[in-house]
Amino acid sequence: MQEKDYILMILMMTGVTYGARVLPFFLFREKEIGGWLKTFIQLVPVALLAALVIPEFVLLPDNHFSLLNPFLFAGICTFIFARRVPNLFLSVLFGMIVFWGLDKII
Amino acid sequence: MKNNSFLFGLQKSIPIGIGYAPVALTFGILSLKSGLSIWQAGFMSLFVFAGASQFIAVQLISQGATIWVIAITTLIVNIRHILMSFSMLRFFSGIPMSKLAFIAQGITDESFVLSAKLLEEIPTPEERSRVAIGVNLGAFCSWVVFTFIGAWMGNQLTINFSGFNFALLALFIVLTVGTVSRENILTYVIAGVLAVILKYLIPGKMYLLLSVGLAAAIGAWLKHHGKTAVGGE
Repeated sequence: MQEKDYILMILMMTGVTYGARVLPFFLFREKEIGGWLKTFIQLVPVALLAALVIPEFVLLPDNHFSLLNPFLFAGICTFIFARRVPNLFLSVLFGMIVFWGLDKII
Repeated sequence: MKNNSFLFGLQKSIPIGIGYAPVALTFGILSLKSGLSIWQAGFMSLFVFAGASQFIAVQLISQGATIWVIAITTLIVNIRHILMSFSMLRFFSGIPMSKLAFIAQGITDESFVLSAKLLEEIPTPEERSRVAIGVNLGAFCSWVVFTFIGAWMGNQLTINFSGFNFALLALFIVLTVGTVSRENILTYVIAGVLAVILKYLIPGKMYLLLSVGLAAAIGAWLKHHGKTAVGGE
């Protein structure tokens, strides 16, 4: 790919990505959002958390189902640890170490 | 408190930075292997700042795809950011567009879920915007700097600590502990189930937009139309 094409490609990728990021700010800034829509946007973070976490526990990278994998076990351990130790950094570190240990065994 | 808010956000972004580092290193290494220069790899991270779409773009480049195909694919992968920005609006009433435009560039899956959690407890829009900038900037710097390092190192590097692979997932799990409540657990479950099914059926990242959009819509509908159907109420 030529330098000129590459720059154009970066510009287009930036345009569509940044566009998706900034468009709602442009369109709905200072607009009153209430009712159903307000509940909807409040539920987006929790829904995204689920969508990011749950598939990783049951779907392996090659897209087949498995419950015997280090992600699920390390995930459960991290969950229990985080409930007891309310520290973001420590809990993440704990999870990484447990995963590393399990990954060596499983 | 003004500067503190920014530093607070920056400090909270450390787990994201740690999680991004190995991914960004891999991206840098892979880019060079696919024939890009250090600058091309680094500038993609700087401007696009969206992991999955960058990996896909590099793969498409090496397959000889046209820039139009790459742009459309990027749009499909990254359209989900609309939902996140839309959801963040409620925190920033009265914040000028210039500042929002800056915050927008730093919105990713990770920075968004962390911000959404942190900003709930911050009282004013001004302070919230500073915390969000801190979170976003921490994540952004890690991504860009480690892309450059990865590209610069080329393939001299092998990472042996598999724990890095779990860093971002661990972050999400820890955030789950503080975010999921009786009020929203139904949405969490619906989103989780939908995500598993859709990820299995549809290649790429489209499952995120669909499962999040559908689950939040169903959750909100149940809350407004069928209060008795919401768990525990």
